[in-house]
Amino acid sequence: MSKSQSGSPWSLHLSTASLVLIPAAIGINYVGKLFASMLKLPLWLDSIGTCLSACLAGPIVGALAGFLTNVIYGLTMDPISTVYGITQAGIGIVVGLMAWHGRLQKWPGILLTGLLAGLVAIVISTPLNIIFWGGSTGNVWGDAVFAAMGSQGFLASAVDELIVDLPDKIVVLFIVAGIYKVLPRSLVTLYQAKDETFDD
Amino acid sequence: MKSISLYEEKHSFLNGLSPLTKLTYVVVAICVPLLLGLRPSYVAFIALSVALLATSGVLAKTKPIVAVSGFVLLTVVIIQTFFRGGAYTELFRLGPLVARKEGFEYSIGILLNVLNIVFCFCVFVLTTKPSDMMQAMVRRGASPRLGYVFVSLFQIIPQMTERTSTIADAQRSRGMRTEGSLGTRIKAFLPLISPVIMSSFTDTRERSIALEVRGFSSKEPKTFLNEFVASRADASVRVALLVVFALSVVARVALTMGVSVWPK
Repeated sequence: MSKSQSGSPWSLHLSTASLVLIPAAIGINYVGKLFASMLKLPLWLDSIGTCLSACLAGPIVGALAGFLTNVIYGLTMDPISTVYGITQAGIGIVVGLMAWHGRLQKWPGILLTGLLAGLVAIVISTPLNIIFWGGSTGNVWGDAVFAAMGSQGFLASAVDELIVDLPDKIVVLFIVAGIYKVLPRSLVTLYQAKDETFDD
Repeated sequence: MKSISLYEEKHSFLNGLSPLTKLTYVVVAICVPLLLGLRPSYVAFIALSVALLATSGVLAKTKPIVAVSGFVLLTVVIIQTFFRGGAYTELFRLGPLVARKEGFEYSIGILLNVLNIVFCFCVFVLTTKPSDMMQAMVRRGASPRLGYVFVSLFQIIPQMTERTSTIADAQRSRGMRTEGSLGTRIKAFLPLISPVIMSSFTDTRERSIALEVRGFSSKEPKTFLNEFVASRADASVRVALLVVFALSVVARVALTMGVSVWPK
């Protein structure tokens, strides 16, 4: 999350610590979704783990965690949600890059990252929604607008997705940035050990 | 501990097939109707998947999975039937709403496609042990490290979800309110999720040390503990699937060239 990291954020060499972070991140996604539905919140909050792991270990780990989250949903609950793994992977990449460039320290950067993550989610999810569901999302508020807009076409479907996705991603990013700040340094450096430099 | 895997050992025909053969079935069942573009082909594959599930004794286990997609499908049918824009033919009226033939037919297409995907996925998911599936992929060249990540998920997620009720109880006993207005409920989210995050991160440190000590990063070729023995039918099923796929490609080409293969 700091600019002092050297090398490329795209390094495919994953340390054991980063690899073990992936199941933990997926578990956090799972639990976030569970708590959100337990508290009957109008948001999904199912990408906290993806974003946190992207902050800690970079875009590749974030993308893997995001993609595998939906594979697990697909294998245990809802087969179609597997394809939305691409969306979660996109979110992981965006957040990982923004964090790598040090944009998650102040609130304008966090807001921007949330907006970008929401945008990526909409751009990837909308075609999938159209292919599999004719454009609806299964969310009451989004689908009501979708129906009012004539229930067809890319724009109506994108608006349907936007109504939930954008607020969701912004809230998730603020939660993630807040948690990241209070994580013990010893834990944070565990994932960044490979990238450490001493010239800062 | 409750497992999240839906797999159940029933010593059935499907249990005896190798994971890759069942994955081939999933791909063929999704692609063939798409290639042909004919509604009866969707129905045929749905019927085949249901029959396979029934003979393996796991049809009842598809209920929760079908229910998840079924609910969304219901809303899709309603939205498309009553609100689809453009010119329409009236089917019937429901108060101020007009049921439209075009929208209804469109939604049936979506319904068939989704049900087909859900059922063929069930054929795979309900009869394949996750570790067998990963082992088959690692044998075919997938990274054993990623294989570990995948298999460990089936252990870690139940551990974490079990922790959630403990945390919810602990925070409630400290006076946190989990019901009430939206504001109250949003405020409750952080104290619930942060202990899960902290403890799971602390666990990852211990887990990575434990793995390293056991030579997780070793470059030596990996060996397998369990040998999966596929039934004799395995190879023939795979050949049959490939033949069906090849035939549907031929049929697609013929259809595009204007040859009629489906009796009108």
